Amino acid sequence: MAEKSKYRPQPKFRQVTVMFLISVFQVILFAGVVLRDSEMNMTYIYLFTGYICFEWIYMVFNVLITGSDYFELEAIAFFLSGLGLAVCASFNETFFMKQLLALGLGLVTYITVILLIKNVNFADFLRYPAAVLSVLILIVNLVMAKATNGALNWIDIGPVSIQPSEPVKIAFILVGSVTLDRLLSSKSLTLYIAYSLACVGLLFLMRDFGTALIFFFTFILIAYMRSGDIRTIALICTGALMGAILIIYFKPYVANRFSAYRHVWQNADTIGYQQTRTLIYSSSGGLMGLGIGEGKLRNIFAASTDLVFGLICEELGIIIGVSVLLAFACIAVFAVRAAKGAASSFYAIAAVASAGMLLFQLALNVFGITDLLPLTGVTLPFISRGGSSMICSWGLLAFIRAAGAPFKLPSPDLAVSKQNRRKGGERA
Amino acid sequence: MRKTVKRAAVLYILIALFMGGVIFLCAEFVLNGSEWASNKRNLHIYSNGTIVNAGTIYDINGKPLAKSEDGKRKFANSASVRKAVLHIVGDTSGVISTGTHNLYRSTLSGYNFVQGISSLKKSGKGNDITLNIDSEACRVAYRALGEYNGTVAVCNYKTGQLLCSVSKPAYDVNDVPWDLRTNPDYEGVFLDKAVSGLYTPGSIMKIITAACAIENIPDIFSRTFECDGEYKTGDGIVICNGEHGKITFEQAMNESCNCAFAEISIELGAGKLKATAESLGFNKQLYAKEVALTKSRFNPPSSDKTELGWAGIGQSTTYINPTHFLAIMSAIANGGTGQSPDRIRYLGSFGKFTGRLPEVMVKMNPETAAKLRDMLRSNVVNKYGEGRFPGLEMCGKTGTAEIDGKKSNSVFAGFSLRSDLPLAVIVIAENAGWGSGTAASTANEVMQYFSENYGR
Repeated sequence: MAEKSKYRPQPKFRQVTVMFLISVFQVILFAGVVLRDSEMNMTYIYLFTGYICFEWIYMVFNVLITGSDYFELEAIAFFLSGLGLAVCASFNETFFMKQLLALGLGLVTYITVILLIKNVNFADFLRYPAAVLSVLILIVNLVMAKATNGALNWIDIGPVSIQPSEPVKIAFILVGSVTLDRLLSSKSLTLYIAYSLACVGLLFLMRDFGTALIFFFTFILIAYMRSGDIRTIALICTGALMGAILIIYFKPYVANRFSAYRHVWQNADTIGYQQTRTLIYSSSGGLMGLGIGEGKLRNIFAASTDLVFGLICEELGIIIGVSVLLAFACIAVFAVRAAKGAASSFYAIAAVASAGMLLFQLALNVFGITDLLPLTGVTLPFISRGGSSMICSWGLLAFIRAAGAPFKLPSPDLAVSKQNRRKGGERA
Repeated sequence: MRKTVKRAAVLYILIALFMGGVIFLCAEFVLNGSEWASNKRNLHIYSNGTIVNAGTIYDINGKPLAKSEDGKRKFANSASVRKAVLHIVGDTSGVISTGTHNLYRSTLSGYNFVQGISSLKKSGKGNDITLNIDSEACRVAYRALGEYNGTVAVCNYKTGQLLCSVSKPAYDVNDVPWDLRTNPDYEGVFLDKAVSGLYTPGSIMKIITAACAIENIPDIFSRTFECDGEYKTGDGIVICNGEHGKITFEQAMNESCNCAFAEISIELGAGKLKATAESLGFNKQLYAKEVALTKSRFNPPSSDKTELGWAGIGQSTTYINPTHFLAIMSAIANGGTGQSPDRIRYLGSFGKFTGRLPEVMVKMNPETAAKLRDMLRSNVVNKYGEGRFPGLEMCGKTGTAEIDGKKSNSVFAGFSLRSDLPLAVIVIAENAGWGSGTAASTANEVMQYFSENYGR
């Protein structure tokens, strides 16, 4: 196996091919945005070109300098982020610049997280400050935040508004996964359950039910990864279900928010407004789309954030819309493979939890706006306009990458590099 | 550690669930995309709930009845044509729900699953529709109804093509009356009475009763009936329109003798009458191709003989849908096969090549159909007079449907035997009195138009 892969040129060749295909797609996509206006926006041309060049530099750096042939994750993230950039650019330059900045911050977060958790012991040390800080952030958010769109999940600082629950997602995974050596310690488990309860409870108080659900789902996933005990998981779920029933009984407004579910056409101009418009315009686009900027969904509230999947379907076509969904499924498949080759169970749990969180959030978003699930108002990772969401998406991706192939400079130690190659061979 | 790694496979379950959702979503797009994309709230097609960008609707002679130009919907030039075809073409808001604008909006939008509405987006026009309707014939029919409201429909009984369909009252889409929704004169203006109307049939119902008698009473043509102006049923009286004396079955049809038909109805009984009516489509949800018809209703009481007698002559709680009855007339004219009246000639860009498959709405025993045809021919020859329908070789039956507290509806249903004019017609003129009056003359005028323009 190891001997075979030593002489095999395919992995790198494959990465160049993937990068090339992505570049072709992005050139067409960005050209569509730039050529829309009669007067070409030179800023766009420079920055789009810069973005594509950056992707190549990153790929080359990734392959040559770190000696890692593990690039698919970033390739998918670049593809998705590029879509988000193009959508923002098709709105206006401000959206585009902000999104580009967010993407930069996302990449910084990505690399920072990978480096921070490189050492398991340091990650273990980090979990207490991360836990305390994240709960504090949520409390401050709850106290300070003003009501926006029915959920109290935004903080405005000067011209920027942040969604504090987004970075907390990264901390939540870290805190949940890192307690590996004390898997059976009841104290550690109790502390983790208390922490999870605090997070979900605070989000619930902020009426951000979508994010609360994402946290709860991730908690279940981590609990399963740690204990493997289906009965406990079933118990927790039953408990949560009963809690939900009680809440709906005592606070009917919670249920009212979801009363349009599967009845959006009867409420098409009230609480089913966003869902019906998404369905109408997504189907208008057909397989190939009407062309970027040509849609009507973009005039609907939250078109570039929550409804961005509908906008992509309308303007770029259902094929690209479905590709986005498949891209996330691929991320999850990579996460399973990465977990199987992970150096410690911390990385395995973190990778699975991150991928599960991303996939679950995607499902809540896409199926929510298309009325397959109740609408909860969560963003589409990597694509939705917004800095917090972008940074968090890259941060979560770091956990998967760390499990699969942590950044390593080429080592003189033959054994290590052989082992690396073997892993690469397995994945190929 | 190894256990933890194994548990990672739980993600595969989540991925499978997720992919299930994706497939479900795609299936929804395939199945409902057309309906979603042509929704009134789609601003690519509609503006403030009215169609602005859509394909052209042509009549059978290629005259545009509605088309999009510069983001506006333009209609036929003549106001009288606009009124006459209002219910077939429909309004741009889809208030007339059976109008072509509303019913075929997905075709008009040019939607298909592969392209979405790209073609509409590029050209401002979707797919065109060519109707079987002759707008000029509609104008003639509309005018012939004169001051009366009601409906006129004509179809080709060999092919099922619906050539003329008019509903009154109507209004001009280019000059909508301000009091459209409040003025009682416009009551029912948003209803296409030909497809959504329900009328007391009056004596044309005797055709159904006769069909039942032909099939169930072997010696019906050799029987005679006694009419002295009223028929005592035992628990009441059915009043006739005259004193016909001793008459045969055929004469009873000619004279539209209530006594004879009440006697026949009671002899047949509610069960057999209902069975015949239902075999011809009564009490059933029928579709004239894509157009849903209001159900014709026939529920004769089995216990009350008088009511049964009245039901057999088309009064009481019997109601017909005009388009359905037109298909029954088609079945009689066409040897037992009544095609669905179809307003569409070509649908969309491929319609010219694929054509439209005819659909059978009413099935009748061919022998019964032949006997009924002869009786209906005899009506014209022996009762109404050929002079009422010069040169048309008409068969038909008039009806005078009594309405509580109002003047009777004038009804005529018939068809021409001419091989170059295979058309069936139904006319209902509300509160116009005798069936042999307005309804018969309107039918003649419309048929004469077709004879001149389509006949040899």
